[in-house]
Amino acid sequence: MTLVAAIFGRAAKAAITLLLIVVLNFFLIHAAPGDPAMVMAGEAGAADEQFIQQLREQFGLDQPLYVQFWNYVSGVVQLDLGYSYRQQMPVLELILDRLPATLLLTLTAFGMSLLLGIVFGLAAAARQGRWGDTAITSMALLFYATPLFWVALMAVVLFSVKLGWFPAFGYGTVGAGLTGLDLVLDRLRHLFLPALTLGLFFMAVYLRMTRSSVLEVSQMDFVKTARAKGLGEGVIRRRHILRNALLPVVTLAGLQAGQLVGGAVLTETVFAWPGIGRLMFESLTARDYNTLLGVFLVSAAMVIAFNIITDIVYRLIDPRI
Amino acid sequence: MMDFLRRFSRNRGAVIGAVILITVVVLAVLAPLLYPESPWKMVQRPFLPPFSVDGFPLGTDTLGRDVASGLVHGARVSLIVGLVSTLVALLIGVPLGAFAGFYGGLVDDGAMRFTEFFQTIPNFALAIVLVAIMEPTLPTITLAIAIVSWPPVARLVRAEVLSLRKREFVDAARLAGLSNTRILFGHILPNAMSPIIVMASLMVATAILLESSLSFLGLGDPNIMSWGYMIGAARTVIRTAWWLSFIPGVAILLTVLALNLIGEGLNDALNPRLARKGR
Amino acid sequence: MKKIFTASIMTMGLAMPAAAQEAGGRLDIVVQPEPPSLMLGLVQNGPTQLVAGDIYESLLRYDTDLNPQPSLAKSWEISDDALTYTFKLHEGVTWHDGEPFTAEDVVFSVDKFLRETHARLRVSLAHVESVTATDDHTVVFKLKNPFGPFIGVFEAGTMPMVPKHIYEGTDYANNPANTTPIGTGPYKFEAWEKGSYIHLVKNEDYYLEGQPYLDEIYYRVIPDAAARAVAFENGEVDVLPGGSVENWDVQRLTQMDGVCSTGQGWEYFAPHAMAWMNNREGPTADKRFRKAVMYAMDREFVKDVIWNGFGKVATSPVSSKTNFYTDDTIMYDHDPDKARELLAEMGYDGEAVRILPLPYGETWQRWAEAMKQNLSEVGINVEVVATDVAGWNQKQAEWDFDIAFTYLYQYGDPALGVARSYLSTNIAKGSPWNNVAGYANEEVDAMFAEAAVAATPEARQQIYTEIQQTLVDDVPVAWLLEIEFPTIYRCEVQDLVTTAIGINDGLRDAWVEK
Repeated sequence: MTLVAAIFGRAAKAAITLLLIVVLNFFLIHAAPGDPAMVMAGEAGAADEQFIQQLREQFGLDQPLYVQFWNYVSGVVQLDLGYSYRQQMPVLELILDRLPATLLLTLTAFGMSLLLGIVFGLAAAARQGRWGDTAITSMALLFYATPLFWVALMAVVLFSVKLGWFPAFGYGTVGAGLTGLDLVLDRLRHLFLPALTLGLFFMAVYLRMTRSSVLEVSQMDFVKTARAKGLGEGVIRRRHILRNALLPVVTLAGLQAGQLVGGAVLTETVFAWPGIGRLMFESLTARDYNTLLGVFLVSAAMVIAFNIITDIVYRLIDPRI
Repeated sequence: MMDFLRRFSRNRGAVIGAVILITVVVLAVLAPLLYPESPWKMVQRPFLPPFSVDGFPLGTDTLGRDVASGLVHGARVSLIVGLVSTLVALLIGVPLGAFAGFYGGLVDDGAMRFTEFFQTIPNFALAIVLVAIMEPTLPTITLAIAIVSWPPVARLVRAEVLSLRKREFVDAARLAGLSNTRILFGHILPNAMSPIIVMASLMVATAILLESSLSFLGLGDPNIMSWGYMIGAARTVIRTAWWLSFIPGVAILLTVLALNLIGEGLNDALNPRLARKGR
Repeated sequence: MKKIFTASIMTMGLAMPAAAQEAGGRLDIVVQPEPPSLMLGLVQNGPTQLVAGDIYESLLRYDTDLNPQPSLAKSWEISDDALTYTFKLHEGVTWHDGEPFTAEDVVFSVDKFLRETHARLRVSLAHVESVTATDDHTVVFKLKNPFGPFIGVFEAGTMPMVPKHIYEGTDYANNPANTTPIGTGPYKFEAWEKGSYIHLVKNEDYYLEGQPYLDEIYYRVIPDAAARAVAFENGEVDVLPGGSVENWDVQRLTQMDGVCSTGQGWEYFAPHAMAWMNNREGPTADKRFRKAVMYAMDREFVKDVIWNGFGKVATSPVSSKTNFYTDDTIMYDHDPDKARELLAEMGYDGEAVRILPLPYGETWQRWAEAMKQNLSEVGINVEVVATDVAGWNQKQAEWDFDIAFTYLYQYGDPALGVARSYLSTNIAKGSPWNNVAGYANEEVDAMFAEAAVAATPEARQQIYTEIQQTLVDDVPVAWLLEIEFPTIYRCEVQDLVTTAIGINDGLRDAWVEK
């Protein structure tokens, strides 16, 4: 099957899956007790029937569930994700506003963890059984087992409060009016701790995966053949072992795509990073249905898109397909 | 069995892991003997550092509760949540993956779409939503964790069954007239057990981490003192009493570490040559 | 004899600054959680009032003794029969978009806009017969009956002035101007980076010469309590409004060099922590059980340990900071034995009682746990329920609770903030702010009605004393603590808290010593 045809086929299936996801998420989210009118009334410090009723009308909550459902779905099909009464802006705009912050964080963490994971994994495999291997795998295990939020807290205490090397939270220095290189540097300084925290866990995952994959592939017949043919160690490593060993790592990386949008909730909360993960958590608390649904939808779309991309990368890497 | 133990114990890491886990389990089981009073009891001045007062080796927390007592009682919660949620996830994922892999076709397609749905929502986000809907109690949290954990199991089992059903012993069983179900559950699955067991040990670890993350965000059961709860409660006093976050964090770390090491040991012991399959 | 209050007389009552105010400077203030909107006429929750209180104004302000001070109204008089309130407005006041502010705006704000959108003001407006603008700068309120508390409702969050030329005839809730709020206040809305900060700038055309002093204000959104404390320590934030950091941090932060704090600025709200007890069903329906709960609790411990000594144990439905408080009532000291006696007397059978904590932070969680311990010790079977904000509101509104934590604002006068919790006419599902406990006592209803409209303060005090004695005996609700929310700030910031609502409108007078 040609690449283009494959993509089209997947895209069509993806659209259907997305629609199903919207339907299921809609009913799932409405199952939570309370509604946004209740939340707003609760925060107002004073409310009566009329107040809450007005809010319900404003949010369209006074209509029967299936009507709300129909309105929502028909909107989604036209790429209108509804309006967030909590944030007073259209959901799509809200999400697009916050998405860059999350992507910056997760892609940086992701890229860093993938790179470091593969590098260290290769190093460990090359020194298998020796001291270097034990040291690296122990380190990986440590990072894997530590709770993310705990690392985040300890990192803040150590690097930010005690040492003062990095800012403790936030997206950038507020109101400083920085531009150009200054802005980039400021952003990077604020990005470091959160990206590091988020990346450590995944680095451990990729490290272990790379190591075990390389070790497994090295045992295989075709490698022995290549060696027998007299090919240099370096060539063998790069062309034969690496390419094959990286396949499962790529698969795993593709599977992690779902984490790109929603996996940073904890990190974003501790570091006050204005991203989608935090938006999701806050809209759940505020029962901001439209925003919550919008976030899930975007996340699902990204996962599906990533699955398709992974498939393509697979085809390109794997000589057998 | 002896063979298995021998291979297992050859992996030093696995042995260390086993020792740690057994210690944790023993502490958890002995909790009512070691600390018969409820860990919620306010027994001393708050914010006592570790080793400052006799009888309170790990100090006291923000309300003057014994940290050591909380740690030991928390071990029970974390272990129970980890074990039960993994069991439930297996109960859902194994049959689903088995049927999908064995029957193929529409059954497979349907099962995989169903699994895909769960994988498009980030693990943690789905867990949060489920707990918010069901209101946090120990059973609902366990269920929520199980619900977000089963897809990888299903995928794994499906892959295993897919490759195993082509083997000769399956044909032989069919020729012998055994029913499909018998073949599936009596012959195929037992051969797929090893990667499932390895995965299960890792799932327990992940479940413990998930539970602690939920508690940290304030979505835990408020009547149960778990390690995650302890860290969450201490989050706001991390500057003045960092040990309140540190100690339970170390407990989680050690337990999860132990489970991982054991998982690797199991892997080596059960699949000497086919190690690392089916992540 | 008419009572005439003018600006000059009132300014003598204000605290005079020790040094000359310096112009210029920027302040970073924490706001938590992020307000859903800044349109104060539509949304009145805490964070909105904090930020929008400097964008919008009302006719009056109040000093820390709850005495009315001029704001948009430069003077006012109350007729002898207490039925007519005449306000003379400042001249030369303009809205942020340049249009002149006149009495017509006042009439529109009160009679049309707020009457429709402001639940709390609606209750007070029920006593108002008419609001008229007799000329461009004079407004007259005519009441149906004398209503003592009325002079206390002219506060920025209770009766904000909104521009008629923008809102008249429109759908208030969906008016596009809501995203760029336009008021008469000392600061103008400049920008809002959702999730990060809100930016206000000085109103150059403010009607008070030379004010405001500061150039700009940034309200920073930082969702994590520990991060907020760190922000203050690192110098990124200059002011921590009350309630932004946990109490344990308050101790530590105030001990730092150059850090000042004050407990003032909450007199108008007088946050009163209490726990509803379900008067309708369950063990809590029995008065003896409720009394047992009061005796079982060690409220001093909670104040000392959980609130770090801040606050005062509440002994009555009325806060000691609010008008007409009395301490001539039964006192429920920590007495577990008495609690057990009462439980035995009523024959408590061990039925489980659920505690619903406030979902707003660790302090409240600890409090629920402490209460659970206290009650368990006298033999009450307790379970703490976990819920988030939406669930908490829902459970109270649907009466699905046994004991539920809450805290309410008193608004300076029992008729405004206290009565609503105990009137039987206020029993209705659907709101967490009415008579959630379900207490129904006709005598108390009558007394509240009488006290609201009694002619003299002495007469009102007499009735309120009797009300408090009755309520404390019936104990429909467990009164816990008069909360103190210290505001923490850098000592260079002067005159930050000069009113009864503190920072909410205090930035008009604040300045930074360089």
